[in-house]
Amino acid sequence: MTGQIAIIGTGPSGCYLAQALLKAQPELQVDLIDQLPVPYGLVRYGVAPDHQGSKGVIRQFARLFERQGARFFGNLTVNDQLSLDDLRAAYDVVVLAAGLSGDRRLGVPGEGLSGVFGAGRLVWAINDHPDAMALPDLGAHPVIMGNGNVAIDLLRLLAKTPSELDGSDVGASVGDWLANSGIESLEIIGRSSAEQAKFDPVMVKELAKLTGVSIEVIGAAATSDDPAAARKLAALAEINGHGSGPRRITFRFGLTPVAIKGDDRANAVHFRTETGDDQIIPCSAFVTAIGFQDQGRLDRETLLAQAEDIQVGKLAAGLYATGWFRRGPQGTIPENRGDAQALAKRILADLAPMSDKQGAALFASHPDLVTYADWQIMDAHEISAPPAGRCRHKIKTRAEMLALGKASKELL
Amino acid sequence: MKITLLYGTETGNAEMLADDIQAELEEAHEVACENLEDFAPTDFEPGCFYLLVCSTYGDGDLPASAQPFAAAMAAETPDLNGIHFAIFGLGDREYETFAQGSEKLAALLASHGATQLGDRVVHDASGDDLAEDLAFPWAQAMVELAEEKLSQAA
Repeated sequence: MTGQIAIIGTGPSGCYLAQALLKAQPELQVDLIDQLPVPYGLVRYGVAPDHQGSKGVIRQFARLFERQGARFFGNLTVNDQLSLDDLRAAYDVVVLAAGLSGDRRLGVPGEGLSGVFGAGRLVWAINDHPDAMALPDLGAHPVIMGNGNVAIDLLRLLAKTPSELDGSDVGASVGDWLANSGIESLEIIGRSSAEQAKFDPVMVKELAKLTGVSIEVIGAAATSDDPAAARKLAALAEINGHGSGPRRITFRFGLTPVAIKGDDRANAVHFRTETGDDQIIPCSAFVTAIGFQDQGRLDRETLLAQAEDIQVGKLAAGLYATGWFRRGPQGTIPENRGDAQALAKRILADLAPMSDKQGAALFASHPDLVTYADWQIMDAHEISAPPAGRCRHKIKTRAEMLALGKASKELL
Repeated sequence: MKITLLYGTETGNAEMLADDIQAELEEAHEVACENLEDFAPTDFEPGCFYLLVCSTYGDGDLPASAQPFAAAMAAETPDLNGIHFAIFGLGDREYETFAQGSEKLAALLASHGATQLGDRVVHDASGDDLAEDLAFPWAQAMVELAEEKLSQAA
């Protein structure tokens, strides 16, 4: 079967969708579009730099472009350089797999103070995302709000000693920033009780490998009748009391933030306990890791509200959504694979290709479009001579990315 | 020789590796490749050699696509005497539960009477090797071993 399909977003959801479509129908033309000049979304900029094993799925995704005929069009922003409507007119099918890149807000007074950071923005900075803010000063006593895997990732990275980053792709400036952070204590706070925490137990157990910390878990129940909750509690019990290093890590639960205090910079957070008491926790910075939300460019809210079948991800004729963009910011890489596989079946069942669709000709003349061949030049550059103890040296800016792609064309 | 590759996967890495092993062995052998979630315990045949590729997920658990198979094994308690298999694991040494998925799957087959050939070989996702660089020589060696064993049995 022929047919032209455009997928917006080249993170796990978009790539798994392309994979499922091409496995079932190798003749399809599948084009993956990303607003960044580089592919793979959160695998590159969200999966922690010291979790290289989890980034191994990139080998599957590379095969899409190297063997299966999918095409990459990077540095192209839909609803900026071209409209979603124009894209829909040019393709038989358009799929929104753009994820959710904005930080969900806590909604308490003081959130606008300096020293308050969304976890997503901090994760970008730590991963050398080209649109990241400068690495902030977190002071000696950062407090992290949230009990998901993102919160644990940040906790672990901020707690690591320099040698514990060996084998990662942490950049030079990030490595210096971590090494000189001056962090003495890290608190991680959950609104709900420990058994309802969202993190995976294996992520908590991993903290027992940290060499420079001492860990205390406060207010977690001993056990639970629910097996999933019991595993979380067991993981917390396992790390409680771990280590005698200088950096103190404290887990606290059941604390609802009421307000962030400070004159010009956050210096304490006012919480309410489960019994209704007040608790003030001093901080030198407050990081909120409480989920992600849409940044608005694709008008997600309206599209989802009008969706024909939101369960599978059909928004309208020829328009679909998958992954976090469809479901919201829950679930890890495997869940997005399952989501994409289910959607691929639906798309193929619906597909009625038209011969007059112009496809990628719509945007092919865009001057700074990045192709997969350009990315291969960047990728080779990044892994060719990494610094000692690193597996990759990430290119940090859009300008450098585009320059490398261009240089490769001039050589031809 | 008749060979069936069975994979248990969560992110698709084990599936890709099984596909690649199939392509590698196909020239000399009759090779099928199936997802464990589509394979029933009653599908095992004594004349066939089984190569298993299995990842690990969560807290040292079987990957999602191996879980329905494990449940069916528990429910149906098949007798796998005379069935020969070898197993390749995928794991990540960053975690203490490194490659426990393949360990559990091997134990599950053995507990029903199946015979494991060779040692379980494991790829570390956080290491420097590519999975296929370990898995291709492993598959060739296991097939040679099976050719000996299965002809003795017949």
